[in-house]
Amino acid sequence: MRHLMKSFQVLIALIVVVLIAQTVVAQDGTTGAVTDDMVNAIAAKLYCPVCENITLDTCGTAACADWRYEVRLQLEQGMTEEQIIEDFVRRFGDRVVGTPLDPALRALSLVTPWLIIAGVLIVTAYVITRRNAATAAQAAAPETGSTGNRYQDMFEQDISGS
Amino acid sequence: MLAEIGLISTLFAFIAALYAIVASVYGERFAHSHALVTSGRNAVYLNFVLMTVATLSLQIALMTQQYQISYVWSVSSPSMPDFFRFTALWGSQAGSILFWSFLMSAFTAGATFLNWKSQRRLMPYAIAYMMAVVAFFIGVTLFIENPFDRWWILPTGDVVASAFIPAGAVAPSAAQLAQTANGLNPLLRHFGMAIHPPMLYLGFVGFVIPFAFAMAALASGDLSTNWIKVSRRWALIAWVFLSLGLILGGRWAYDVLGWGGYWGWDPVENAAFLPWLIGTAYLHSVMIQEKRGMLKTWNMFLVIGTFSAVIFATFATRSGLVDSVHSFARSEIGFPMFAFWFILTLVSVWLIVWRSSRGELKDDHQLKSLFSREALFVLNNFVFIALFVAIFWGSFGAPIISELFMNTSITLGADYFLQVTPPLFILLFILMGIAPVSAWGAASLARMGRAVLIPLALTAASIGLFVVGGVTEIGALFGYGIVLFAGWVAVVETVRGIRARQHVHRENPLTSVIALYTRNPRRYGGYFIHLGITIIGLGVIGSTVFQQETQQTLAVGESLSLGIYEMRYDGFLANQIAEDGRVMDIAELTLFRDGVEVAHLRPRRDFFPEATDMNSMTIAGAHSTVENDFYVILVNWEQISASSATFKVYINPLINLVWWGGLILIIGTMLAGYPRETMPVRVREKLHAVPQGA
Repeated sequence: MRHLMKSFQVLIALIVVVLIAQTVVAQDGTTGAVTDDMVNAIAAKLYCPVCENITLDTCGTAACADWRYEVRLQLEQGMTEEQIIEDFVRRFGDRVVGTPLDPALRALSLVTPWLIIAGVLIVTAYVITRRNAATAAQAAAPETGSTGNRYQDMFEQDISGS
Repeated sequence: MLAEIGLISTLFAFIAALYAIVASVYGERFAHSHALVTSGRNAVYLNFVLMTVATLSLQIALMTQQYQISYVWSVSSPSMPDFFRFTALWGSQAGSILFWSFLMSAFTAGATFLNWKSQRRLMPYAIAYMMAVVAFFIGVTLFIENPFDRWWILPTGDVVASAFIPAGAVAPSAAQLAQTANGLNPLLRHFGMAIHPPMLYLGFVGFVIPFAFAMAALASGDLSTNWIKVSRRWALIAWVFLSLGLILGGRWAYDVLGWGGYWGWDPVENAAFLPWLIGTAYLHSVMIQEKRGMLKTWNMFLVIGTFSAVIFATFATRSGLVDSVHSFARSEIGFPMFAFWFILTLVSVWLIVWRSSRGELKDDHQLKSLFSREALFVLNNFVFIALFVAIFWGSFGAPIISELFMNTSITLGADYFLQVTPPLFILLFILMGIAPVSAWGAASLARMGRAVLIPLALTAASIGLFVVGGVTEIGALFGYGIVLFAGWVAVVETVRGIRARQHVHRENPLTSVIALYTRNPRRYGGYFIHLGITIIGLGVIGSTVFQQETQQTLAVGESLSLGIYEMRYDGFLANQIAEDGRVMDIAELTLFRDGVEVAHLRPRRDFFPEATDMNSMTIAGAHSTVENDFYVILVNWEQISASSATFKVYINPLINLVWWGGLILIIGTMLAGYPRETMPVRVREKLHAVPQGA
């Protein structure tokens, strides 16, 4: 049992050493493991805060080059993709992401078009059903005062001024 | 002198347009004077002649380098080649509005000339509507964005642009003006930009004609199918130009914007796509009105919707309503354009409601079956409108509402559009597959099921081939399946038609094909268009789902690998001066595929010393095959020695299908719009003798 405990302590110590070493190396910025592709993968999900609707990975301005470098530094510091994106949103607002992170804005963005589409569908269905019903009723019982000829009816309507 | 000619011609064109409106409406509605209406028509022709003179004046001024004209000074320079000097006519706001007005004037004159005799009752009102649009744009040219303004030096030493000579002012010297001339925006110095804007403008102005005839029908009370007969072909012409404009715009973005794609869901791109969506819905639903006398009110709304979307797209591009890569076209014309759009739409909707309340837009038939062709077309229209809503909301609705009411600014990007639009596109492709095999009136599910058996089997076989070829992604296979199904239906239906003709007439296959397309150009041209859309769909799925990319920094002699390719950095040519004065930094690369050299690529960065803003441009190097594009962008380089450079590399599978599909779509539209009336009587009679079911 003592042997097992000793082994466990050694293992914990090793883990702590590795973690500390990793943190030191990361703070030193000498990992060298962050590639352009890793930076671009995140930059492609961010929009340039000052340019016109251009993602950060493709924007050619010096400001965007600086922001890409910032993403690189943040990756080197061990920040995750979500953390980096949240950091940009915190600093520049929801306009730097393709779909807002803020729950209210996100709902507004993603749900509203479907609500409008559903509304259009309901109105269309209602209009079609009502028209069909009206046409069927008209066919069953011609309107009083109607000549039975639609164009003649319209003519009568025109000259009566109604 | 050219400025004076241009200005006077534009002014008289404006007066002619106003006269045409008044003479046509007053002559028809109140004075009942044929002479007055005819004089209104003549004013349309005069307007076209004057606008031609005005446009030519500016074009000649550009070609002959009249830098005293401020527009010429702002969009050209002595070092620019003649080709770009020519395209500079639409290179900035004032010139493009003049060009828009000229095209609209030409379309109006053409529509008036072709329909004057056959549509006597509609013409006065159609002229009034068309000329109202022309007059508005000429008015913008004259009073807000005048391309004939000239530079003047005031006694105070200030330099101003003005159409007339200010008191005591003198003209700057020609040499000084030439030396300081701006030159064309670098992003516009591309072959695609030479054609893309005129195509879009032709598409936009083309849709004004159906709108004008629809409104003429409402105003005159001639609500028969006359307005549809006239407007359908114009709508088709507009649609093909708009399609071509969108495809060329995509190609321009792919070549010049340097991000490896062709559609960025940019608000202005989307704004040009919106009229295409409603216009396409209209081209489908108009068939129902012609065949079944249904959807009369709906078609009116679609025509108005298309026109409104056209004006809105023009407004969105030029007002700076939302941020966009097209922001170079911003100006002060936003409010007048918005007001014009709002008033015209309001009047149009009122006319529809008025006629509808009088019972004049009642349908002749009802929808009888959910699987009838008309029901499926209604569903197709609904999906187009849903796409319109989703794209409009993402591009304009959400950003504007969030800014106005939530005190925050948001930009909905590709992320949003790729979440919202795919279900709608899937539904659209399914409808594209089943609608052509359904029947007018009543149709059953069983019959439709039998009709799609062969296309479904062919789709399954095609998917099998994709799997054998190594495609295992379920989402992509599903997408390919849906798209291919629509394409196979178009192919199978065409083959059925050919075989039926061969069986009945004992014709050879070529004769059958020709007869099929000349006898029923709309139907089989439509299938051809569906085939084009299918091919575009395959290209979009391939290039979106399977795109690979990497960015690496290479020293001279080093290579990078991506997919089946290996790219070697051979060297760098810095500060190369081109004929037009641009300074080019060029990387020299060699591309290998499976160890075999396949191409030398020269991605470059162009710098335009004379341009005031947006003075650099990234030109990608690309190696295109049927299978994919190897696309490389020069991102950065070591400034002194260029001993190392950074490249962004993409492999875009099947991307060329997007362009080829576009070409097929154009050919299909030309087939669909082929006028049967132009065939010799003998041929027409022979074709009419053939039974319909063949």
